[in-house]
Amino acid sequence: MRETELLVIGGGPAGLSAALEAASNGCEVVVVDSDLALGGQLIKQTHKFFGSESERAGTRGFEIADILLNELEEMKGRVSVFTNTTAESYYRDTGIVGCMTNEDDYWCIKPRKIVNATGASEKILPFHNNDLPGVYGAGAIQTLMNVYGVVPGKRVLMVGAGNIGLVVSYQLLQAGVDVAAIVEFMPNISGYWVHAAKVRRLGVPVLLKHTIIEALGENKVEGAWIQAVDENNQLTGEPQKIECDTICMAVGLAPTVDLLWQAGCEMLYVPELCGYVAKRDTQMRTSHPDIWAAGDAHGIEEASAAMVEGRIAGLGVAHALDHIDRMKFGEKLGIYWKRLDNLRAGSTGEKIRCGVGKCTCKCWEVD
Amino acid sequence: MDSKKVDVAVIGGGVHGCSTAYHLAQKGFRTALFERDYISSGSSGRSAAGLRYQFGTEVNILLAQYNMKCLKTLGEDLNYPGDLEYDPAGYLWIAYSETQLEQLEKNVRLQNELGTTGSRVLNVREIQEVAPFLNTDGMLGASFNQEDGHINPHTLCFAYADAAKALGVEIHKKTSVTGIITKNGRVAGIHTDKGDWEADAVVCCAGAWSVEVGRWLDLEIPITPERHQIMITEPVERMKHPMTLCLDDGSYWKQCPNGTFMLGVGKEEVKDTSYYASWDYLDSATERILPKMPILSGIRVVRQWTGPYANTPDFQAIVGPTPAEGFYIDCGWSGHGLQFAPSVGRIMAEFVNGEKPFIDVSMFRYSRFEEGELFFEPACI
Repeated sequence: MRETELLVIGGGPAGLSAALEAASNGCEVVVVDSDLALGGQLIKQTHKFFGSESERAGTRGFEIADILLNELEEMKGRVSVFTNTTAESYYRDTGIVGCMTNEDDYWCIKPRKIVNATGASEKILPFHNNDLPGVYGAGAIQTLMNVYGVVPGKRVLMVGAGNIGLVVSYQLLQAGVDVAAIVEFMPNISGYWVHAAKVRRLGVPVLLKHTIIEALGENKVEGAWIQAVDENNQLTGEPQKIECDTICMAVGLAPTVDLLWQAGCEMLYVPELCGYVAKRDTQMRTSHPDIWAAGDAHGIEEASAAMVEGRIAGLGVAHALDHIDRMKFGEKLGIYWKRLDNLRAGSTGEKIRCGVGKCTCKCWEVD
Repeated sequence: MDSKKVDVAVIGGGVHGCSTAYHLAQKGFRTALFERDYISSGSSGRSAAGLRYQFGTEVNILLAQYNMKCLKTLGEDLNYPGDLEYDPAGYLWIAYSETQLEQLEKNVRLQNELGTTGSRVLNVREIQEVAPFLNTDGMLGASFNQEDGHINPHTLCFAYADAAKALGVEIHKKTSVTGIITKNGRVAGIHTDKGDWEADAVVCCAGAWSVEVGRWLDLEIPITPERHQIMITEPVERMKHPMTLCLDDGSYWKQCPNGTFMLGVGKEEVKDTSYYASWDYLDSATERILPKMPILSGIRVVRQWTGPYANTPDFQAIVGPTPAEGFYIDCGWSGHGLQFAPSVGRIMAEFVNGEKPFIDVSMFRYSRFEEGELFFEPACI
């Protein structure tokens, strides 16, 4: 059976950062990713990042992926990568992880430590006909357009006015696709104003306190019914028909934590982090002494924060495996936390700060 | 707070607890059932849920006749709106040695004598007729009953629980029993993490966890929990295939009505009630089963889980009153208990009501271990 010091599950911003940090401190690392290529969601992000200079603000997402992958290339001797590989089981009695490559090659690996950087899954809304071809999650549309160069349709109804809904609307417009409207259940736009202003300037109506109630069509989407909601969140007024051939749901993400449940990590429901997440200490370690998590799997946040969390988790693993002494560990941990606090500063970070506060303990029992 | 008082408290929301509560309510007992997690969350819901006439001791054969008759129409009889997935696809016990074949012949002879007409012994050619996808290499013969089969263990529990509730039984889910109250030398109620209940009688249907319950009353219930593992595949087209059990290595598999295959293998297992699966089970089970059922190769396993057997020294149940007055037990079914819920649920209610059980189960008595009156069930895995 294959063995390794560190298994990183998920090769997105968090996982790659964890792998880089651990490997640069001398750990032997295996990275598995269910996708065909590493980079996670970064490879479909064509917009420039916000945040701070140290987290590559001003650089486009897919370029950040390239930077991380180049760094990984330099660590080749210590890092093995398995793409198209899903880590699908964790066995508590032995700490063995079952992996499936190409959907037909099953193999097992026994790591000493694990960083779970499995990211998030898209939430979907229940409405009539939501299984018609032409109903997409926003992530799927980004993959189609920005990775494969395929537009999903001619005219899109966007559901959700968070950052993803706004950014994907703008990208659709850039690709020459009409956006019929953006409907948002809440009374306000939760995404950044700069994104909202861009789509508004291009004439896309943002209908607040509206929701989709039905997709129209027999074999594919041929339109949609939307309706307003009142202050008690009940449908009100006349339904309105929207002409469209594509419906895009950008209604939020939920942390992917299946393996953490399997491993018996202590889990908490934290609304601010969008679902169940593992309780963790300040080095991202879960209640399971061999398992860390980072990125969206530890609570939905921006990729910039995911990268720092990944760094912290990788550093924690390096320390737990005695690749780095306590002093240097403490020093670097302090620097990374300063960067993380910086990203979470101000009123936009308040929700995250509150959520993280609910599930972070200072330290598990000292080992 | 209302005084929490019932006639009978039932410990355990598996199929035996639910059936017992239902039968108690039918007799007019005010009954409360306590389940630490959710209904069917323990061994019941985790079982392979085979149903069979094919047993090797008189008491089990007689009980099985009653069980099989009940299970056929149970959904309607309990007014259950869901689907119990009762599916008489047949059940093959396959012998790989002369000794195994002789035992199967003996079992079938006893079943036939006691009135189970559908059980018979098959030669290899006949095995191929009832299970055309089997590779019969090394098989010497089998016992078979076409009326044996499968049921959904979850809906079976829910059906009894719902029927019990409709008769007024309190079902307390997510409620752990933490102790038994005694007064003047007899059972007087239970402690739970949600308060105490007074009760004149307590019935323990806690499966492998009954050992702990017994200790509260200084009873040594001789159960050794044993982890068993099981897997299920993605659904494929339904094929002619009965539940198959191979006596050489305890491997078994069956196709459920939804097209999935359930499979498992006998193997040295840990002796505890943990729910943790082991990584090598997939390998050992598929290595054993694929040569015997080559058509399954390439089907994907989608899930693996565990559930504990409640094994007794003779692999027979422990059923009836105990030296602790007012405390009754129904446990120790050693892996074949699910299907006995119809008969034994009724019998537990008869015990509590002071009646003579409709089928004599005195050989299942708690005291048999002290008395050295063990009687082994040859037809169990």
